[in-house]
Amino acid sequence: MKENTAPTPLTRTQLGVLAALLLCAQMPLWAHIDRWISVVGTALVIARLVFPFDRSNLRNLRRWLLPGFALAAAIGIRVEYGYFLARDPCVAFLYVLVGIKFLEARGTRDGALLVCLALFLALTQFFYAQTLLAAVAAMPALLATGIALAVLRTSAAASEPWRPHVRATARLILQGVPIAALLFVLFPRLAAPLWGSPLESGARTGLSESMSPGSISDLSLSDEVAFRVEFSSAPPPPSQRYWRGPVFARFDGATWRPLYKLRSGQFVPPSGRAADYTVTMEPHGKLWLFALEHPTGPPHAPNPDAPAGAATEALAIVTYDQQLLAKAPITQAVRYTVRSATVDTFAALGNDASDNLQLPHGNPRTIEFARDLRARSASDRAYITAVLDWFRTESFVYTLSPDLLDRDPVDGFLFDTHRGFCEHFAGAFALLMRAAGIPSRVVTGYQGGEMNPTGEYMIVRQSDAHAWAEALLDGKWQRIDPTAAVAPSRIERGIGAALPAGERIPYLARIEMTWLKSLRLHWDSVNYHWQRGFVGFNLERQHDFLRDIGLKGAPPWRIVALLAAAAFIWGISVLGFSRLRRSRDDAEVALWRRACRKLARAGLERRPDEGPLAYADRAAVRWPAVAALIKAIAERYALLRYGPAAARTEESVAQLRASVSSLPPARELRAT
Amino acid sequence: MATLPLTGSWITQARQRFWRLAPGDREPVTLRHRRIYILPTRRGLALIATLVIMLLTSMNYALSLGYAMTFLASGMVAAALLATFRNLAGLASSPVAAGEAFAGGDVTFTLALASGQRERIGIIVTASGGAPAIVDLPADATRPVMLTVAARRRGAQPLGRVTLSTDFPLGLWRGWAYVHFPLAACIYPAPESAAPPLPASRLGIDPQRAARAADAELGGLRAYERGDPHNRIAWKAVARGAGWYTKQFEGGAGGGAVDLDWSELPPMLDEELRLSRLTAWVLAAERETRAFALRLPGTELPHGQGAGHRRAALVALASFPRMNPA
Repeated sequence: MKENTAPTPLTRTQLGVLAALLLCAQMPLWAHIDRWISVVGTALVIARLVFPFDRSNLRNLRRWLLPGFALAAAIGIRVEYGYFLARDPCVAFLYVLVGIKFLEARGTRDGALLVCLALFLALTQFFYAQTLLAAVAAMPALLATGIALAVLRTSAAASEPWRPHVRATARLILQGVPIAALLFVLFPRLAAPLWGSPLESGARTGLSESMSPGSISDLSLSDEVAFRVEFSSAPPPPSQRYWRGPVFARFDGATWRPLYKLRSGQFVPPSGRAADYTVTMEPHGKLWLFALEHPTGPPHAPNPDAPAGAATEALAIVTYDQQLLAKAPITQAVRYTVRSATVDTFAALGNDASDNLQLPHGNPRTIEFARDLRARSASDRAYITAVLDWFRTESFVYTLSPDLLDRDPVDGFLFDTHRGFCEHFAGAFALLMRAAGIPSRVVTGYQGGEMNPTGEYMIVRQSDAHAWAEALLDGKWQRIDPTAAVAPSRIERGIGAALPAGERIPYLARIEMTWLKSLRLHWDSVNYHWQRGFVGFNLERQHDFLRDIGLKGAPPWRIVALLAAAAFIWGISVLGFSRLRRSRDDAEVALWRRACRKLARAGLERRPDEGPLAYADRAAVRWPAVAALIKAIAERYALLRYGPAAARTEESVAQLRASVSSLPPARELRAT
Repeated sequence: MATLPLTGSWITQARQRFWRLAPGDREPVTLRHRRIYILPTRRGLALIATLVIMLLTSMNYALSLGYAMTFLASGMVAAALLATFRNLAGLASSPVAAGEAFAGGDVTFTLALASGQRERIGIIVTASGGAPAIVDLPADATRPVMLTVAARRRGAQPLGRVTLSTDFPLGLWRGWAYVHFPLAACIYPAPESAAPPLPASRLGIDPQRAARAADAELGGLRAYERGDPHNRIAWKAVARGAGWYTKQFEGGAGGGAVDLDWSELPPMLDEELRLSRLTAWVLAAERETRAFALRLPGTELPHGQGAGHRRAALVALASFPRMNPA
């Protein structure tokens, strides 16, 4: 391999194609990295195209400006992110770095390095999104990679056009698709990451590990999908769609937090209407899995073939307070099947009253009010009813934009502003219970879900995030949703129906079914199948697939051998395919040979040294009836084959074909 | 058969099969898979390394689309491998001509490349010690390829092994094949740079007239005859379409025939120097359009003139046996 030591300077075409490649690689990241970083990185690429840098300029750039640029970018990113050696800042730095490198790129070797960097950069967008759109957005970069390589190869020709390379590269990519598909299904997937934690904190939306005023109303503004559910039984009515998530029992007067120590528990099989369903959950980076209240058993990987109740590995454990916790943070889409009994109560495991009676300092009016009301109520149940009635009759407003309260927020909410979102109601209710001596806690999760009319599944969005309360009565935990008392339509018809007019409601949570919303639901359906079929192809799905094709548990050498054999067949067929394509060019030869064969069968063989016209003359003497036709064939063939290139048109080939076809069969010729 | 049957021990055979060190090919050689080698270029290795990093990233972050993109790019790289192979497979090459040159100059060999039924792009033809020639061929075409190498020393200079290579289409893979034709150029001795004037004519022509030969004036034109030196052809007349004429000079032209005799050179001259001087004299005699005879030990050329005679003399000088092969 000879490489010139003196760099072959990049031509205008090469610079243009490289710039296109870099922009293709950078563009999908615009939505995911900081605005100023994306502007700087892209501006550097464009700057190189717009301003000509001659050799002396470049030398100065190389020596001083560019290392300075790189350092400045690194410092800027460090300041922006607060850390550097992590995934996101590195992506941002690479984004800027390709611009810097492009600015100083001189030779084809720099070009080749840029191609490699850009290809990797194009991959990094999948850290942030693996939607269908992201996949489509990656295609231009892949195509541009091939074009850039093709253009870099021909360094000599300054005015080398790039357009022919588009088709050629597209063909190469298409030819490689079978190999890619095979590798995709057979390449072993990992159960655990190779290094580090693959999830950056704060990178995803979803419920958080604590509940303070505002934490759920923020989520409610998001149309993002939390998870999708396919029911194998009838879906429960909206009022029973409580998807249980993190449970909070520790309250400091403003924020609800989980207990310090999560104890593992067991499933308390409640009786009630059972629902079987499969959840496809978007990654949220936390441990919890969501299930309808209350699951009767652990979630399993969905396996349609296995008999019901077959022992498969559980995907999560259940805690003392009936949360489902996965073994590792959910960093990729996960699918699991659960069975729940749609009831609002379950038996407490032992005595966990003490954990749920803790009262923080502060909020004296609330505590005073609770004790007073409890004293006036006959029983705990009567007290609960009284509290809910009070919520209902007082002019409480269910709103996304409650007033901000600094000191004693529960007091302020209950007695001053009366304006709150579900976290206010649930938190205040739990506190009212505790103040009256009833063990109580806050449960967060999602409430509701919308059936997608096109996809036969339910979508639960972040805007369905909800908080409710649980109270321990007679050894049983009872779900009580104070929001339902204030805004019953929230529970029945979703947040869009419950919020007063004029509030900012996430678009898809609105209840009227416009055509645009219907279009978006269709799109969601497409994305759902995309997620299930493609993005969700993980270790389990691969096992299923291998089992289906009879390769489960096969020794690795068999899979390698299969791959090798497939690669061989692929190579042969790609080579053979292009041979077939090529033979089309020689149509006139094939037609001429056909005519010759026919005449030979009829008894007059062409001598090896005989040209077409001489042979035709001889044949014309032998068969005077078709003399004109034979001569026409020979002449046209000679013109096509040996005449000027302009004479070789589709029509004249077609005419030759027609003439050859109209030649009588050998049988008839022999008879004459 | 394009290739001579291999003989010798299996080691020799294997060496010949893999490296084509001996001129075993007869025309034409059609490249097939047994001759074609393919390895990644540096650029290809860099891209493969990038793909490995992309794969590791996809594995660690469990990016399904990352896998998909990595494998699609890998498929493209693999398809490029096939395209590189296809660009060479079926390409036919045959020896056409070996040039002649003076030692120290450049000599040109001509091969013919036939594309077969496929378009060929960026075929790099390299002779050992020569600059590469880059050829593009449309389908069903045959093109001559000129390979210019330095003419090293007097005598027959074999072309040696020729490498046909390509990095089409993406520059990620280099495919190459060796062909080794028994093609040899005839290298004349380098003419002595400051050679003494031609020896005096036996026929007693005044040497001073011969010395004035260069000052000769154009006397007229006569009809061209085969063998007239090129520099005497009246090219202007040819260009006008007036026909072929040869310029005649007065005063010069024909200091008379000379005898260029090896044995009459000063005895202290060594063999190669003698050949160099004789070469210079052959050229001088031609320039002055004087007939000359060449006598070498074992070879004798009678008096004659013209391009054919000149070439015969130069070939005789070139192929004069080497006494002490270096």
